[in-house]
Amino acid sequence: MIDVLRLPLIGRILKHRRGRLALQVPFLLIALLLIYDGFTGTPLAAQNLATIVPWVHFRGFAILVLLLAGNLFCMGCPFTLPRTLAKRLSLSGRRFPRLLRGKWLSIGALLLLFFLYEWLDLWASPALTAWVIVAYFAASFVLEAAFSESAFCKYVCPLGAFNFVYSTAAPTRIGVHDADVCKSCVGRECLNGSYSPQPIILIDQIGVDGAPTKAHIHNKTGVPGCGTLLFAPQIQSNLDCTLCLDCVRACPHDNVGLFTRAPGAELTQPDAWHKRYDLSFLIIGLAFMGLLNAFGMIPPVYALMSDLIDALGLRALGWSGLALEGIALLTIFAGGGVVLPALLTFSAASAARALTRTTHRDSLRAALTAFAPAFVPIGAGFWLAHYSFHLWIGFFTIVPAFQAFLLDHRIGILGQPNWLLGGEPNLTLVGLLQTLALLGGFIGSLSVASRIALRLYRRGSFLGLLPWALLLLALMLVGLWVFGQPMEMRGALFD
Amino acid sequence: MPTLLTLLLLLTLVGCREPAPPTPTPAPDAPRLRLAVDPDPAAVGDAALLITLTTFDGQPIDGAQITVRGDMNHAGMQPVLSGGAESENGVYRVPFRWTMGGDWIVTITAVLPDGRQIVKTVDLAVRS
Repeated sequence: MIDVLRLPLIGRILKHRRGRLALQVPFLLIALLLIYDGFTGTPLAAQNLATIVPWVHFRGFAILVLLLAGNLFCMGCPFTLPRTLAKRLSLSGRRFPRLLRGKWLSIGALLLLFFLYEWLDLWASPALTAWVIVAYFAASFVLEAAFSESAFCKYVCPLGAFNFVYSTAAPTRIGVHDADVCKSCVGRECLNGSYSPQPIILIDQIGVDGAPTKAHIHNKTGVPGCGTLLFAPQIQSNLDCTLCLDCVRACPHDNVGLFTRAPGAELTQPDAWHKRYDLSFLIIGLAFMGLLNAFGMIPPVYALMSDLIDALGLRALGWSGLALEGIALLTIFAGGGVVLPALLTFSAASAARALTRTTHRDSLRAALTAFAPAFVPIGAGFWLAHYSFHLWIGFFTIVPAFQAFLLDHRIGILGQPNWLLGGEPNLTLVGLLQTLALLGGFIGSLSVASRIALRLYRRGSFLGLLPWALLLLALMLVGLWVFGQPMEMRGALFD
Repeated sequence: MPTLLTLLLLLTLVGCREPAPPTPTPAPDAPRLRLAVDPDPAAVGDAALLITLTTFDGQPIDGAQITVRGDMNHAGMQPVLSGGAESENGVYRVPFRWTMGGDWIVTITAVLPDGRQIVKTVDLAVRS
């Protein structure tokens, strides 16, 4: 294992006190530029940076970088900059409500974002996209001002939840060099924060009555501890790690590092993840939403929506096309993103328990949550196939859009925009790459599931694997069908 | 500080952006432009845009310079550019290619022989 932070140059840059800021500031400038162009630029999505950058480039690069390097987008997240300000303004210091401390809010936020994306055609509206970015800044600021931990990142942010899930397949993870150093660590600065930006230990002086006579309090020169409350020596997974590297900077023993590992190593590691329904359904749900999101872009979805509206008798109500479309989409999302994943995975877990005769040994929750990691590779395959399609065919569209933006401001240094830059994309090659992504994801999932089955059921592993393998196969076949359809980007149908 | 500088920079840009030209109210005697597609309904593949230019009282206008730009309403798709067609009886047949199914926004610009310019935007659904 290599500690990336001990590599020359890159390690120094990442560990530098302003290392994260160096990544965040460019992202912040881009976010502000997108808000500005979204509100003031052309309403044509194909020519506006506010729609091109997030829906074409950000999404495509995000999934690629997550799989190839790690959660660099959370590391560079600009929404956490006003969060830092909010933290300083915060007086309450209360923790996030216990009942909400799980992934259910994240799951709800993801469903809401995907639903709004389809319903309001966010991809076609620079202004609405700009509002989404503004809402992100506002939500991050408010939650951070109200609560002590990074509640927005850990419990709410849908993008963060997406990044957390697929960074579990990344080839890097935070860890410690020597666990014994952590056992004897008094301050646990990786969690609690350091008083100083330098790796030194400052100890409060306690008087004879037990009260401190000299206390070291956190100040502007200090380094915060982990915002999502992860304790470095106990980290087994990238889940909840925003890769902010605060733990690395805060550690007075220079014992925390960013280590390389086999991609997706934690997916087959026992006890790397909590056996919780919320966490499992975040992962499983994201795989299904990967299919749903792509399904929303192909012609059969319009026939299904129309059939649903007829079946529910909604046309007779005389509602607007937007309302009808909203109800149809909501039904599809509730069915395909909530009911179907729950039904199919509970069925698979029940079948596996029955086939392996472990009904009395394993609870249904244990049987289901154990296989949740198997949905990471196939989900990543769906998202990669979808987002890389947009990135591939629209890669160069940002160039003329930026040239046009500059010309709008009487800046001609980049010349006139060439809207046909890059030529026509090779759709056959794109289709081949999409198929490879789907097959790669399926094979990865099958491999993870078989190792989990072997661990859980030993001699009965084949029977324990069978229901899950069939479910994964069905998902992959549906994926091949969806991505084999011609793409058709349409807005509201029923106006 | 960087945030403050950025905000100041953006404020400057807001001041710099060229205001969009006001949408002109068509005069009663303004020329008329109509668009039809062939095949109809539009489907992915080669097609033709039939652009009809007439005076307000229905007389055909020939000899105009036509340019057409088709954008998908989704970001990240290359536009389709075309134009330069000859006319017959005020009808200009512009070769076009729908590169993907979905919603398209077709912007037609016609420069009339007398120098006047007409710009019309038409939303179209294209079948895949």
